[in-house]
Amino acid sequence: MKRGYLEEAVQPLNLRTALEEANRCIVCHDAPCSKACPAGTDPARFIRSLKFRNVKGAVETIRTNNALAGSCAKVCPYDQLCQEACSRCGIDKPVQIGRLQSFLVEQEKAFDMKVVKAPAEKKAGKVACVGAGPASLAVASQIARAGYDVTVIEREAKAGGVLTYGIVPARLPQSVVDFDIQLIEELGVKFKFNTEAKAADLEAYDAVFVGTGLWDANVPEIEGGDLDGVYSAIDFLKEAREKQADFKIGNRVIVVGGGDVAMDCAVTAKLLGVDDVRILYRRSIEEAPADMNEIQYATSLGIGMTTGAYPVALKGDGKLKTVEAAGFYDEEAKMSLSADTIVFATGQKAEAQSGIGALEQDAKGLIKADENGFVGGKYFAGGDVVHGGKTVVEAVAAGKKAAAAMIAYLEEKGVK
Amino acid sequence: MAFKKDLSIEFAGVKCLNPFFLASSPVCNNYDMIAKAFEAGWAGVFYKNQDSVPEHEISPIFGVTDMGGPWSMFKNCEHASQNSFEQNAEFMHRLKRDYPEHRIFATLMGGSDDDWKKLVKMAAEVGIDGVELNMSCPHMGRDNMGSDVGCNPDLVEQYARAARSVTDIPIIAKMTPNITNMIPSAMAAVKGGASGVSAINTVKSIIDIDKDLLTTEPVVNGKSAISGLSGKAVKPIALRFINEMAQYPGLKDVPISGVGGVYTWEDALDFLLLGARNVQICTSVMEYGYRILEDIISGISYWMEEKGFEKLDDFVGMALRNITTPSEFTRTFKIRPAFDHDTCIGCGRCYVSCYDGGHQAIDWDDELRRPSLNTDRCVGCHLCQKVCPVPGCITPGEVAFDEGATPENIVYKKSFR
Repeated sequence: MKRGYLEEAVQPLNLRTALEEANRCIVCHDAPCSKACPAGTDPARFIRSLKFRNVKGAVETIRTNNALAGSCAKVCPYDQLCQEACSRCGIDKPVQIGRLQSFLVEQEKAFDMKVVKAPAEKKAGKVACVGAGPASLAVASQIARAGYDVTVIEREAKAGGVLTYGIVPARLPQSVVDFDIQLIEELGVKFKFNTEAKAADLEAYDAVFVGTGLWDANVPEIEGGDLDGVYSAIDFLKEAREKQADFKIGNRVIVVGGGDVAMDCAVTAKLLGVDDVRILYRRSIEEAPADMNEIQYATSLGIGMTTGAYPVALKGDGKLKTVEAAGFYDEEAKMSLSADTIVFATGQKAEAQSGIGALEQDAKGLIKADENGFVGGKYFAGGDVVHGGKTVVEAVAAGKKAAAAMIAYLEEKGVK
Repeated sequence: MAFKKDLSIEFAGVKCLNPFFLASSPVCNNYDMIAKAFEAGWAGVFYKNQDSVPEHEISPIFGVTDMGGPWSMFKNCEHASQNSFEQNAEFMHRLKRDYPEHRIFATLMGGSDDDWKKLVKMAAEVGIDGVELNMSCPHMGRDNMGSDVGCNPDLVEQYARAARSVTDIPIIAKMTPNITNMIPSAMAAVKGGASGVSAINTVKSIIDIDKDLLTTEPVVNGKSAISGLSGKAVKPIALRFINEMAQYPGLKDVPISGVGGVYTWEDALDFLLLGARNVQICTSVMEYGYRILEDIISGISYWMEEKGFEKLDDFVGMALRNITTPSEFTRTFKIRPAFDHDTCIGCGRCYVSCYDGGHQAIDWDDELRRPSLNTDRCVGCHLCQKVCPVPGCITPGEVAFDEGATPENIVYKKSFR
C-alpha cells in the first residue's frame, strides 16, 4: 500500500497486539537476541518485561541501554541482528523485536517517563562532540549521565545527522528522531547549531569526540557527471527533506546502488510522486547489501530493480536526458534509458577533518581510532567516520564504548 | 531494572525484605536452588513439603493446558520432598547462616498428633523463621493427611494445637480450596494456635482427556487421578478465598499469605490489595524461572510511584472496601455501549454475541458492516465490549437511569485493554 512521503510505512502495535507478539517470545535461557544487539539494548529483557505486563520496566531497560532507542527501533537491520538470532526462528518466524521496541518507546512518551537522568551534582570536566549524528548523540547521553558538561557542535540547523538528513521519513519519522534527541537535551546537553567546529574553539574542552560521519559523496567520475539532474544520495535526500513536494526531479528517476541508502532514495522519489523510478545495481539482488525488507518495500511500491547493469555515460544538453548503461557481468549488454534525474547511492566518504585538528585520515577519509574510539591526545572518534558506512545501532555501540573510554580518560586526568 | 521502591513488610511477626516467597513445591527443594532464588531477590521460601511417609514418586508428574502464552493451567500429582529430613535440615541451616535477612518457613505434613509434634520440633530446632502446616494437598488419598484434613475443622484445630505445643515460632496453616467455606477451617487453625493462614493449595481437578489413551495428564502407566490444579486458572478462586477471610471479622488481624496463579506484578498486587501480607509463587517459576521476580518488583514499584505510595502498608487490603455482595449493588441505571465506527473493523462479533448470548440489542448494517444500538432492548451488559477485538472501539457510553430513579455519580470502569 502506497502512503505519503511523511507517512510511516509500518503499522504501529497497540498494547493488545504488542502483548500478543511478546507472548510469542520463548523467554530463552541464554537469549541470543540480546547477544546479537551491537548496542546492548537487551531485547530479551524488555520483551520479558512486556510479556509479564511490566511496560514501564521494559521502557526502562530500552532507554537505559540505548539513547537512540526510538530511531534504532525503526531503522535497525533486525533481520541480520536480534531477529535473525531469535530462537523462535526454529519454530516459525522471529518475534518482531523492532516493532515491540517502537511500541515501548511510544509508551515512554505517553507516560512521560524520565528513565535516564543526569546527576544534580556536576563534574568539572567539559566535553565537546563534533557532529550531531548517532555516534555523537550516544556519547553525549552517556557523558551527561555521568555528570559532565557536554556540548554538541553541529554545522546543520538540526541534530540527528543521517537520522534527520538521510533516512526517508516513511522509514524513520522525524518525530521519533526528535523525541530521542529531546531526551538527550533534557540531560542538559547543549547544542550549537549552524557551527563548524574549529580547532581553536575545541581548546576549551577537556575531551573531544569526533563523530562527523560520511558526508562527502562518492559520485563516480563519469561522462556528463556535471549535468543538471545528477545527484549524490546525500544531496538528494537532504533536498527532498527540505523541499518535499516542491523538489523538482521530473518523472523518470534512476537510482544507482544496492544498499539501504539506494532504497531510501528510490522510495523517496516514488513517495514524492515520480511515476517511473528504477534502481540500477551492478550486481545481483542476493548480493545487494540492502535489508531484504527494504528491497521488498521498494518493489512493493512499483519501483523497478535492474540488476547486472551500471551507468557508463550521462547524456544531455545541460540537463540530463539519457543514461547509457553497460552490463557488469554481461560484456555484450548495453542499455539506453531516458531519465530526468539520476541519483548515485554508491557510497560516501568522510570529508577532510583538518579544521578540527591534526587527525590522521586514510584514503577514504576515515579516522584511525583504537577499539575504544581513542585517537590521540584528548581526541576520540566513532561512528561512520571511523568504521565507514555502518548502521545506526553500530554507531550507538561505538558511542557507548567511546563514552566509557572518555569517562575513564577524564577521571585519570583528574577532571572530576 | 534499577527503579525499586521499599517493598519490605512484616508478616506474622517476621520482617521480610519483600512479600514474595517461593511456595512449597519443587522450586525450593535444596540449598543451591534457594540460594539462587535469594540472589534473584526472593525474600523467603516455604521450603518444599516434608513428611514422615517414605516417598516413591510417579513419572511423569505434570499435565498442562496452554491457551497461548503462559500455561493457562498446570496439574501436578507430586508428593513431598524426596530428600531426607536430615538433608533438608542441613540445607535450611546453611541457608539461614548464609542469608540471614531472608526467611525460611518449613512446610510440613503430619498424619497424627505425634507425627506433627516430631516434625515441627525437628524443623524448629534448625533455627528457621516459621513452619507452614500443609493441611491441603489434594492428592494424598488419606483421610488423616492433606486436603481431607483441611476440610475437617476439628482435625485442623487438633493438628494446629499439636504443632503449637512444641514451638513458639510462627505457624502458618495452609488451607485447601476444595471446600465450600474456608472460614471454619481457618478459624479452627487460629484457635489451635496458628499465627496465620495461607491459601490456596491446588484445586482438585481433571484436565483434558487424551482421546487415544482415554485418561487425563499425568498419564502414569495408562492411568491418572484427580490431582492438584494451579496456574493462571486458579487465581480467581484464590482471590475469592483471600477476600472472604480478610473480610471476616474473626480473622481480621490474622496475617494471610496469598497463593495461586501469580505470574505478573498485577497478579501479585491483586493479592496485596485484598489484604494478603505475603504472596507465594510456584507455577510461574516452574515455567519461567526465578527471574520472573524482577518484573514483579519493578512493576509494583512503578505502580506505587504512579499512585504516590511509599510502602506496602499504605495499600495492603485497600480493595476490600470495594468488594461487596450482589445484594448491595446499585441497580438504578444502565450504561449503554458506544460504538466507534471509525476504529470498527466490521467483524460483527458484537452482533453475533448480542443476538445469541444477549438481548438482540444490536442492529447490523449489512452494507456498511457496522453495528448500531437498539436502546429499547439493550440491558447494558457489555458483552459486546467483551468480545470486540479492537481496543477502544466499544466503550461505556451514556449512563441512563431507570425511570423514577434519582441520578447520582456512578463509578464505572472506563479503560480496557
